Amino acid sequence: MAELDRLMDAAACHGGPFSPSYSARLDRTEEFPAEAVRVLDEFGVHRYFVPARFGGRQAELPEVVDLLRAVARRDLTVAIAYGKTFLGVTPVWAGGTSEQSAWLARQVLENAMVTWALTERGHGADLMSGEVGATRTADGWQLDGAKWLINNATRAPLVLLLARTDAGGGPRGFSLFLVDKRSLEPGSYTCLPKEPLHGIRGADISGIDFHEAKLPADAVVNAAGTGFEIVLKSLQVTRTVCTALSLGAADHALRLAADFTQGRMVYGRRLSELPGVRWVLGEAIAGALLAEVVTVVATRSIHTLTGEMSVISAIVKALVPELVEDLITAVGELLGARGQLIDEYADGLFQKLDRDHRIVAIFDGSTTVNRNALINQFPVLDRRYRKGGYDEPGLNRAADLTGSLPELDTSALTLLSKAGCSVVQSVPKAVAEIRRLGAQEAAPDSVVRQAREFGEAVDGVLAELAEHRPERHDVPAGAFALAQRYEACFAGAACLRLWLHNVGVATDRATLWRDATWLSGCLARVLALLGAGQEADAARAYESLAEVLLATEGGAVPSILTDVPTAEPRVRA
Amino acid sequence: MTTGAGRNPPRRGVFPPLPDDLEHRLGLPMAEDNPLGFTAVLAADELAEVLEAGERVLDDYGLNAEFVPAGHGGRLSGLDRMVYVLRTACRRDPVLGLGYGMSSLMAAVNVWTSGSRRQQERVAELLLGNRKLACAFHELEHGNDLARAEFVATPSGAPGADSFVLSGRKQVIGNVERADAIVLFARTGQGPGSRSHSLLLLDMATLPRDGYRYLPRFHTSGLRGMALGGIEFLNCPVPASSVVGVEGHALETALRAFQITKVALPGSSAGILDTALRTAVRFTLGRRLYGRKVADLPYPRGILGDAFADLLVSDCFAMSVTRALHVLPGEGSTPTAAVKLLVPTVLVEATKRLSALLGAQFYLRSGEYSMMQKLVRDSQPSAFVHASRSACRMSILPQLPLLARRGWSSGVPAPAQVFRPGGSLPPLRFEELSLSSRGQDHLGASLLALAGKLPGGSAAHREVQSLVDLFAGEWSRLSEACSGLPPRELTVTASPLSYRLADRYALLLAAGCCVGVWLESQDGADPFLRHPSWLIAVLTRLAARLGRPRQAIPDHVQSHLFGELLRRYHDSRAFDLSGQQLMEWHP
Repeated sequence: MAELDRLMDAAACHGGPFSPSYSARLDRTEEFPAEAVRVLDEFGVHRYFVPARFGGRQAELPEVVDLLRAVARRDLTVAIAYGKTFLGVTPVWAGGTSEQSAWLARQVLENAMVTWALTERGHGADLMSGEVGATRTADGWQLDGAKWLINNATRAPLVLLLARTDAGGGPRGFSLFLVDKRSLEPGSYTCLPKEPLHGIRGADISGIDFHEAKLPADAVVNAAGTGFEIVLKSLQVTRTVCTALSLGAADHALRLAADFTQGRMVYGRRLSELPGVRWVLGEAIAGALLAEVVTVVATRSIHTLTGEMSVISAIVKALVPELVEDLITAVGELLGARGQLIDEYADGLFQKLDRDHRIVAIFDGSTTVNRNALINQFPVLDRRYRKGGYDEPGLNRAADLTGSLPELDTSALTLLSKAGCSVVQSVPKAVAEIRRLGAQEAAPDSVVRQAREFGEAVDGVLAELAEHRPERHDVPAGAFALAQRYEACFAGAACLRLWLHNVGVATDRATLWRDATWLSGCLARVLALLGAGQEADAARAYESLAEVLLATEGGAVPSILTDVPTAEPRVRA
Repeated sequence: MTTGAGRNPPRRGVFPPLPDDLEHRLGLPMAEDNPLGFTAVLAADELAEVLEAGERVLDDYGLNAEFVPAGHGGRLSGLDRMVYVLRTACRRDPVLGLGYGMSSLMAAVNVWTSGSRRQQERVAELLLGNRKLACAFHELEHGNDLARAEFVATPSGAPGADSFVLSGRKQVIGNVERADAIVLFARTGQGPGSRSHSLLLLDMATLPRDGYRYLPRFHTSGLRGMALGGIEFLNCPVPASSVVGVEGHALETALRAFQITKVALPGSSAGILDTALRTAVRFTLGRRLYGRKVADLPYPRGILGDAFADLLVSDCFAMSVTRALHVLPGEGSTPTAAVKLLVPTVLVEATKRLSALLGAQFYLRSGEYSMMQKLVRDSQPSAFVHASRSACRMSILPQLPLLARRGWSSGVPAPAQVFRPGGSLPPLRFEELSLSSRGQDHLGASLLALAGKLPGGSAAHREVQSLVDLFAGEWSRLSEACSGLPPRELTVTASPLSYRLADRYALLLAAGCCVGVWLESQDGADPFLRHPSWLIAVLTRLAARLGRPRQAIPDHVQSHLFGELLRRYHDSRAFDLSGQQLMEWHP
């Protein structure tokens, strides 16, 4: 990480490919950030997209999150352009044969870009309506049809593609194909033009159209008919890791906010000295830290609560981009006209990141798609919460930052979580634990109060969940609002867990950990999402967080990860 | 108006349609070959240019006449009408709606409020001759903090010379290079206080050519085509007769005059949400997901219904406050700031939620729905231009204790005509616009006063009553919190908890306006506006902003709302209170 940061810092000097002026120019001219991608290639970020067992360096997914976040913090377009390969390869690790995986691993380690082509014109998120079809031939497959709005469809030599293999469709009617454009007959495919976009303007968002393209028999991943299931399981991993992009955007926005409010004079004071402004800053940091905690716990859960990822990934992909959009809006308001100006302030990077970031809530499953997935699992979430109990070892390992993680067992991914959601199911116990610490004066009174209010709010949400009647087609609008509240429950619970497991090892200089500052701020944010909590607690917490942000130097922003000694990632059997 | 009138007679005569209706002149929005259609609007946006054909239409229509009081030969008789006309332009293109005339309006209101007869005549002459004015207040270093503005006008030292010498820069100024006259905010005194600045009306043609230069244009993400420039004065002499009103009173004049524009800007911007909503409805009707039309799925319907309600809230609030400026001109300082505080946020959020409904289609700058990404960008500046939310809170906060002690509990609501959009109004008395309402707030008193006079009867009426009671309870709590505020909590260093009282005030005031408009619609011709459904919807949306657990709009209300939404969509009628006939969207 430090080495990647050094490389990108160096490339940020003298108008290099990671400099603000360079980012701004490529956004204006809508050019692909090829030079920035070369810097990442040079470091070898792609090695982390390949699991260690296939010769890569990926031991834990939190590492991938850290890397993508570090890139996204500088330029979201670059992170999205580069990160696409992670999406393109994950399904093969999850579902491919060992030969396919080994072959693909070699390709990626040799710097080949891989794209994941799911969507088609006119269907978007509705993958089951996909029309791109593959039919069997004597010695393989023939592929026809167009995939559209595909990141790197033109630039990537390798395409992992979902195609209909049974005219009748249905859950077993689709298959994944690993297509090597370099070995297709010329003329059997056309790349569709790059689309002009609202944000990530430099990215290669285009399409690919196949005309009787001949594929070898072994191009099908796993077996015909398994495509849909592999996609759904892989999305549980990719959706979770994708939120790294939001964390990077949040880092960037907060840094711009801190710099601006400290430099700007109004009414004879620094903007950062006005209590009203500090509330906005504090609330924004609380949102960013909450997004961080949710992502960290969720990403670690891929390894330790693998069977619950159908729930967790839906929560994290819906909630995190939304939290970050909210904080970007708040920062935009602080920046005022400067946030809108394209070349006047900070190279116009704020308005760029604002536009860029909106794609995160759209791709790899939109917020609505994810909320739908969560709603479909309401019955088991209700049942499991009422029953009590959770996967304690799995949750402990997910929350304990000092421990290393077991290798991901992709065979443990399931379409529907049977165990519910351990993070939320652990709330009553976590609240009791905070109370116990409060009684020993090891947790501040305000946090004990917030935790109690949170526990009550969670009970309220789960009571509503119990009232929910599943509807196959007409998911009522109210269920989406309820899903949103359930996500807030998850977020608060993740905070309690993370704090309880790590507060003992946080270093003394850790201002975020002292007096449970970050926990109090995050709980305030969660309680606001749940329509509970007290403004006075929020005001106190946000003020402390603003203080921490404004004291953070060197272009950094506060992170709960900074002050906890985390274990070196290593693969464990 | 000729369009569709035969098939769908207007249900409600909000504004008598004019023979030369602007909407009609703008033509069919979806027609590819219409030089004023969305295709042309988007092409201009890509080039970061203003839509020239659109400006010509506004010239022909004489849009500027809407800014000129009848006494000076213009058509400004009611601010609500002016807002509706601007909104019409904003629905087609926010850059056109805001970029063509907002700079002139901002400059002119200062002159109507404090200028001399001669200055007023000059401004009227320019505007009626289709010339533009610019309003040069902003300096990048000081933003909304006008009292710190550095631009100086120094009395020239020459004996007998009756003039000022200008020097300094003004930045991010709409139309500055295209303006024949500029209203300029300049420091004329040394002190730090509020009496150290003056307004100057500069006739650009009379200034020495080497006395000023224009700065390069500022490029923005939202309202890309807007001509935002800057101007630098280099020891430029101007006659002392340029001063608008009393020397040293610029801040006071501006704070009074801008009460008008603080409402006009969000009120006009509501047109952005109208087009966003229409675009989203079009998408949901044309798109299929999981084998069904998106418009048949409850969740998208909920988002559309919410946005419809948000637009009605915005309109009720902006309309009532513009009308109140005519009826209660001395009480405008807090309600106008409250509109600027709340309405842009409502519009921006609603537009954004609608855009999310489009999924990836929203993200495309090409294709059938590409207006959406422009509307998202164009909606954003309204939240902080002209007066940021914190500046609005600062205008409201210091007045809250007195309003709480005197105004809100008076039991006397604002006169009924305030809540009747399009109804007749007394002329606007600019000179009575006041910095402080001295504890009077009839608009604020309305909700508590009307809460006991609601019609009863149906279950829906009972729902209305219980929502209104909830807001009445909130008013009492706000009153209590405000009356006890110590003086130190009324300044810029007030705690965030005090600041947030201003936000609450805005929400409750908006709720009161919605109740007022509903009550005054009871004898109107529009069955939708008479029905309690929309009021339940808008109050539910406002209640969600009070920090309570979010409640969805009840199902029966939602289906009523959605039915009206679809009807208006198919009939090409506006989604605001007017429901006015628009040009067909489906050629």
